[in-house]
Amino acid sequence: MKKHYDIVIVGSGAGGGTIAQKLIPLAQKGAKIAMLEQGPHYPHAFFTQREIEMMRLFRFNGAWPVTSGEITIAAGQCVGGSTLMYTGVSFRLPQEVLDEWHVPDLTHEDLAMRFDQIEKDINVIIPPDSMVNDNNRLFHKGCLSLGWPVKKIPLNIKNCEKSGFCNLGCNSGSKQGTLEVQIPKAVSAGIDLIPNCHVYGISEKKVHAIIQKAPPGTIDGPWRPGKICIDSDIIVLAAGSPCTPGLLLKSGFQEKLPGIGLNICLHPAMTLYGVYPKPIVNYRGFPKTYYTDQFTDAHDYYIETAFYYPFIATRHLGLWGKDLSETMSKYNQLMTVLVLHHDNVMPENRITVNRKGIVQVQYKLNRQNIASLCHAQIQTARIFFAAGCEQVIMPCASPHVIGRNYCDPKTLAQMIQTQNFIPIKTPVSSAHPQGGCAMGEGKNAVTNSWGQVYGFSWLYVADASLFPKSAHVNPYLTVMALADRVGEHIVRSGFNQTDI
Amino acid sequence: MYKCQYIKGHRLRTILAAADCIIPAHGHLESAGSMKTIGVMDHAISQMPSQLRFQFLLFISIVHVLGIFFGGRCFARNRQSDQIRQLRWMERSVIRGFRMGFLGLKSYICMGYFTRESTWVGIHYGGPLKYDQSPPDLMIRNLCQNKCKICV
Repeated sequence: MKKHYDIVIVGSGAGGGTIAQKLIPLAQKGAKIAMLEQGPHYPHAFFTQREIEMMRLFRFNGAWPVTSGEITIAAGQCVGGSTLMYTGVSFRLPQEVLDEWHVPDLTHEDLAMRFDQIEKDINVIIPPDSMVNDNNRLFHKGCLSLGWPVKKIPLNIKNCEKSGFCNLGCNSGSKQGTLEVQIPKAVSAGIDLIPNCHVYGISEKKVHAIIQKAPPGTIDGPWRPGKICIDSDIIVLAAGSPCTPGLLLKSGFQEKLPGIGLNICLHPAMTLYGVYPKPIVNYRGFPKTYYTDQFTDAHDYYIETAFYYPFIATRHLGLWGKDLSETMSKYNQLMTVLVLHHDNVMPENRITVNRKGIVQVQYKLNRQNIASLCHAQIQTARIFFAAGCEQVIMPCASPHVIGRNYCDPKTLAQMIQTQNFIPIKTPVSSAHPQGGCAMGEGKNAVTNSWGQVYGFSWLYVADASLFPKSAHVNPYLTVMALADRVGEHIVRSGFNQTDI
Repeated sequence: MYKCQYIKGHRLRTILAAADCIIPAHGHLESAGSMKTIGVMDHAISQMPSQLRFQFLLFISIVHVLGIFFGGRCFARNRQSDQIRQLRWMERSVIRGFRMGFLGLKSYICMGYFTRESTWVGIHYGGPLKYDQSPPDLMIRNLCQNKCKICV
């Protein structure tokens, strides 16, 4: 099968959905635009609020391991991408981080203007007190009693039912991800949405893909299953990191652009638990409303509130045997937080493609990462105890379960040590892979500051792969702002592209 | 009726024994080594990519055989203290494959146990608010609700 389009967007997450919305004026003028998505198109009724049934929303069931096995990556594979199962956290890129990025023409004013508009579009709000559940209230109490700043997390939600199943797909459609906001607008303006479309290569103004059969219960696309070659004047890659750099590597672009796959960060995260003396029912209500940035500057991490379902919780706890049974028997008493470490770009960490053409993330935690994660466990234990917990479970502590008798910072520091970190055994995850197609200037840069790939004026990148370094904060709003810039460049340039 | 496709014979005995070590009985919680856990696990294993499934099943066979070095017999026939010693050794082994294999085994046992509704009662988890929403896969729903008999 062959098709022709003026513009093809690969991916429908924070980047792909936003760029589709930005290109609506071109669609209204008659440009033919398609948005291809590897995953299925799920209706709201599909989201059953059961973790084993909803693992299919994620690539590799939510546990895509890096080659060292030290971290598992959770990334969405569906129309809406990871905005389907994120918690709606909508931080702006901090100004000092943008300054560190050193991307020419990418100014704070430019991004601020886009953040203003996107926040209106996706309804970013500061959650009212009525949305704060017991877990969040205790976190607030714990931080305040330690004298640490505690702030509300901006969220993109509307008429939230507070059922607590954000990470399994929002059944009510309250979370204003691209599935709810940008994609419906783009589709009603005439942009074709093609789900179940696996893009396996791109060449000069061509996209090579396979359309797969729609799984039962999902919304079918317009094309029949089979191989397809799409001619397109402009191709925008928004498949996310690591898939966008992986696709470029599979397509052989690294010969001209050796920076593809480099400059990656994963935001290594640990979910930590404390046991409160009475039920707090963390699994109902909105999971995330507070965070503290007390240790961002000195130790490179944020601590945010969180909640996870029983099976996932067992993966985070890192326990087994009697400790696991005892802890899980108090599941409704568990206080939960997420530590988000902003890692540095390291030359040995990169995205590659193996001999079978499978995209791999080569990543190893270094001493600095492990030291930060251990420091975070000590400080989190202090929050839990200050909030009133009887016990805390810290994967780098020996033993893992620490009682209240040992709650002073000195004792905690003696118990929680970097030498207790055992790669693979110690649970570390990532939901924010970034980089691999760095924007900017210099030998490792892949695109200019407008996401246009050097040497290929018909090719753009519009997702988290563009980040030259970590965004420090949850990246979705930044991805949307950068995609908005890329879309603006395409609209402004029309179709008369010249090599840059 | 659900007929296990992959967990049979020595693998069934090994996983049942390992499940009892990984999630022992506590309070209102029964231990994980039961056919109810095996049913959910086997269904999940059937959905794995074939190469990963091969590696997982091979690892279970290795656990079975390695029991000889920890208690003189195959894993399931050893005393539970020897089984725990073997699992702990694999979890902390300098060989990456053992650590990965142990993590995979533990994860699938936890999946087979904590996604079942009968377990939710014991951990005080209220489960989905939209309880009767149609499942994408009726078999996994039935297995988690303990609505079908499991055989090997």
